[in-house]
Amino acid sequence: MNYYLKRTAQIPLTILAVATLTFGLIRLLPGGPFTQLRLELLQQGVPAEQVDARIEALQNIRPDAPLWQQYLDYMVGVAQLDLGQSISLNEPVIDVLARSLPWTVFLVVTSTILMFVIGVVIGALQAYWEGSRFDRITSGGSIFLLSVPYYIFAVIFLFFLAFQLQLFPTGNAVARGVDASLSLAYFSSVLHHATLPILAFTISGIGSTALNMRGNGIQVLGEEYVEVARLRGLSNNRIATRYVARNAILPMYTGLLLLIGFRLGGTVVLEEIFSYPGLGYYMIQAVNANDYPLMMGCFLVITVTLVVGVYIADLTYGLIDPRISAGDSDEY
Amino acid sequence: MATDSSSSVSDHVVSRGTVEDPIFEITDTSVTYDGETRVLEDVNVSIDRHEILGIVGESGSGKSMFASALLDAIPDPGVLTGDIRYHPPDGPPVDLLGLTDEELRQFRWEEVSMVFQGAMSSFNPTMKIGAHFEETLKAHDKRVSEGLEFARELLENLYLEPERVLDSYPHELSGGMQQRALIALSMVLDPEVLVMDEPTAALDLLMQRSILTLLDRLQRKYDLTIVFITHDLPLVASLADRMAIIYAFQFAEIGPRDEIIGNAAHPYTRALLNATPNVDAPLDEMQPIEGEGPAPVSVPSGCRFEPRCPLATEECRTTDPPLAAVDRDRTTHRSACHHPATAREEIQLNFDEANDELESASPVEPSEPAVETRAEQTSETPLLSLDDVAVHFTEEQGLTERFTKDPTVVRAVDGVSLDIHEQDLVCLLGESGCGKTTLGKTLIGLQRPTDGSIEYRGQDIWEAKDGDGEIPYDEIRSALQIIHQDPGSALNPNRRIADILSESLRHTHPNIGRNERRRRMHSLLERIGMAPAEEFLDRYPHQLSGGEKQRVALARALLMNPDAILADEAISAVDVSLRIEIMDLMLELQSEFETSFLFVSHDLSNARYFAEHGDGRIAVMYLGEIVEIGSAERLIHDPRHPYTEVLRWATPDLELDSMGAGDPPLREVDVPDPIDPPSGCRFHTRCPVAREACREQHPDLRRIDDGDGRVACFREDPNHEYWDSEPVDGAVEQPEEFTGN
Repeated sequence: MNYYLKRTAQIPLTILAVATLTFGLIRLLPGGPFTQLRLELLQQGVPAEQVDARIEALQNIRPDAPLWQQYLDYMVGVAQLDLGQSISLNEPVIDVLARSLPWTVFLVVTSTILMFVIGVVIGALQAYWEGSRFDRITSGGSIFLLSVPYYIFAVIFLFFLAFQLQLFPTGNAVARGVDASLSLAYFSSVLHHATLPILAFTISGIGSTALNMRGNGIQVLGEEYVEVARLRGLSNNRIATRYVARNAILPMYTGLLLLIGFRLGGTVVLEEIFSYPGLGYYMIQAVNANDYPLMMGCFLVITVTLVVGVYIADLTYGLIDPRISAGDSDEY
Repeated sequence: MATDSSSSVSDHVVSRGTVEDPIFEITDTSVTYDGETRVLEDVNVSIDRHEILGIVGESGSGKSMFASALLDAIPDPGVLTGDIRYHPPDGPPVDLLGLTDEELRQFRWEEVSMVFQGAMSSFNPTMKIGAHFEETLKAHDKRVSEGLEFARELLENLYLEPERVLDSYPHELSGGMQQRALIALSMVLDPEVLVMDEPTAALDLLMQRSILTLLDRLQRKYDLTIVFITHDLPLVASLADRMAIIYAFQFAEIGPRDEIIGNAAHPYTRALLNATPNVDAPLDEMQPIEGEGPAPVSVPSGCRFEPRCPLATEECRTTDPPLAAVDRDRTTHRSACHHPATAREEIQLNFDEANDELESASPVEPSEPAVETRAEQTSETPLLSLDDVAVHFTEEQGLTERFTKDPTVVRAVDGVSLDIHEQDLVCLLGESGCGKTTLGKTLIGLQRPTDGSIEYRGQDIWEAKDGDGEIPYDEIRSALQIIHQDPGSALNPNRRIADILSESLRHTHPNIGRNERRRRMHSLLERIGMAPAEEFLDRYPHQLSGGEKQRVALARALLMNPDAILADEAISAVDVSLRIEIMDLMLELQSEFETSFLFVSHDLSNARYFAEHGDGRIAVMYLGEIVEIGSAERLIHDPRHPYTEVLRWATPDLELDSMGAGDPPLREVDVPDPIDPPSGCRFHTRCPVAREACREQHPDLRRIDDGDGRVACFREDPNHEYWDSEPVDGAVEQPEEFTGN
């Protein structure tokens, strides 16, 4: 079967599988959220005969209908982007996600790109000066960064820069009282609040990117075509960009898109530490509050992003590396 | 420095045999690593303007260093010392080692440029070929449009379609096309000197020879000086004006081509000539050179070749012979040997007599009947039987082609029928991409045919695999074994030889104990010439030489007690001087272990050696079909298919008269695309004697009337309409008009 068709068909299938799992968890776990919701409603003094109707209104699920009926209802809801009502926040899950997702995407994309660029530059310099003092010191540094988890940096930054020196805020995405607008005040406030999380999230990833790039760079520098390019009298700049950098970065491209997906799920602890109102922050809240609909909504979003990221990487790699589109990588 | 050394320089010129108009004068030039390891030692050579100098040496003899030295491009941290003087066509001589970085940058490629071995690795894989040309022109401040015009002319002279090539990525071209594009790239600034370091080693013979013919033409057209460096003596012999032999980081012999081939004075040169598999040489006299060239740290104090030289005397052990004129009256031929006269007397060149013998004996008849009886007249069930087998691959497509084009089908093998008998020997011969490896893999049941059937002793292999066969699939699987081209990657690097070999033993003899296994491996290793076996058993593959690795791969296959072994270019990765040894070993073991051999090769002389010694057949393949099959004798001396004739032409020999004889008997250099093979006879697009009939009709393999074997060519049928149809464009009436021999 056609590879690309197959690849495209896999996306809805994967999402369907995750949604089904989501539904299964909600419905089948003992002591699940509906038991809790029913209890809450009863405690609030809602008459017992109205409880089911209320639950249905809140969660687009009819607790008394047969399981398959409920499953279909839920799936139709998901397809219409109706993920139910958050129990703890008492508003539609989709609203919560719409509010929090942009912040998380902002954090993740900015930090991943920063991490990639800085890592690639450091790695490239290391490859060029292989064996130099700079190379040895940065290699050690990279390994150090690689082995320290990002939340350690997050806690350290928070403690020293935010609490002790009070250079940065300790929570939230914007200062109170600053309205969302295209004003400079708003943007600077956003940046000010995002600096520490981005810094912590970036710094931990630089190590592995730099080491990766260093390895690729050294390999490419040893290639014959670089030697031939030098003999042909090309300028060092051109060799560095068109020959070394391009061929060294190419294999890291797929990894980059994957990384964005993975790091999206990795923001849970980060946003909790900085009280940053992103997806991860709400996910922790949902876990603590036993707010299954919200949790599952977050879970679905992260999955979809990861699946789409990998899909884009798969489809575009052939466009970026001319060797792939010709099917050269396929061995008969 | 120039003033006080001028007298000594002129001395050297005398002693090294003056060339009339040198373009390069290389004096006392050495390359040193780490201050002591010398990988090129005190070289004194001159290169004549507009000559083709062929330089031959084993791997690790310093020949690539010499090439790099001519561009002052020794890889770090090597240090180049001495004096290299370049004489431009006009203007004062240039002291290469005294140039500034910027002068050197301009000197390279504008005056002297270089072609490397691997064309694929010489191009940036993510840039189009055209971009390589443009950036080179820009870097040297040339006008891009004019330069590209010249590039197109060069590409056209190299039998390439300029627009298509310039607009392609490197991987979209075949190996031969890439190499020719690289030659064009190296000539785009119209340099004076072209240094070529093994430029054709990665290509098959036919392409090598075609490129050499084109080079010869380019050299004359653009007045180039070519320095051609290779390990392949007969190859360069057809092209070179002068030849030089490098041994252990120094020139051992240099002189006019005919002198070196016909009247070599250095024992090493003579041994090298005798070790070359050669279509015309009597087989028994091809002899490998014992031992290996010295490493740079352990160069002998006397003559470098002394440890391997059969004629070494006390003088050779103590005194390093200078590179001096062999005969007093002829200073052009110089050799570094104390006893050139003895060498000429004692070491007979085998191809000299060969010619006489072959000329007198009528070539066709001798071994035919034997082959006939075994291969054609056996009534028993053949070991392996292919019936009208086709293997088609569907190619993967890119994103956009998916929706616009039909899937492309590569017809790797098309309609092949072939029987392999017990203890048979068949060589599959053809250019790269002709489907010989695919056919080989189909024969041993590794590749499922898309059409037709393959039977093992009357049992369909793929039916057995699917579970309904009388002979269990496991038995068939272990009866058919393979030896790969590169033994280095075919052996697990993390396991000792003992572990690698006992794997097969455990399979064939599950009940024998550890000691018994070890004893058997021990005796087999000794049998294949790996002594002391005890020591080899505990080694890892990386501790073995290439030849030893291939022996282990062979032993591993033999321990399975196979009925047939596919040797897929199994000796290509082995040094030339060792190939005959490995082939001999395979032949001896064939009778001992009672197996059949399928030998895949692109080299007619190897295939011939194998088929002739093993009394087997050669099957010539072209674009997925067998076009001719027969005994080695008949194929060599009486080729019936024009394509066999082409392969015969492409096989280098050392016969001085036929050397450099004419253009290839081909109308096209490149093989047509196997996705869309030509109609009618698939060879008609390149065939020198193709006629209109060949365009439309497809010839079947038919028995040859007055010889053994079969051939698929209309010319075998005297009554065919071929004889009445018109020759196609560029084809000639008679084959005699294009062959030199």
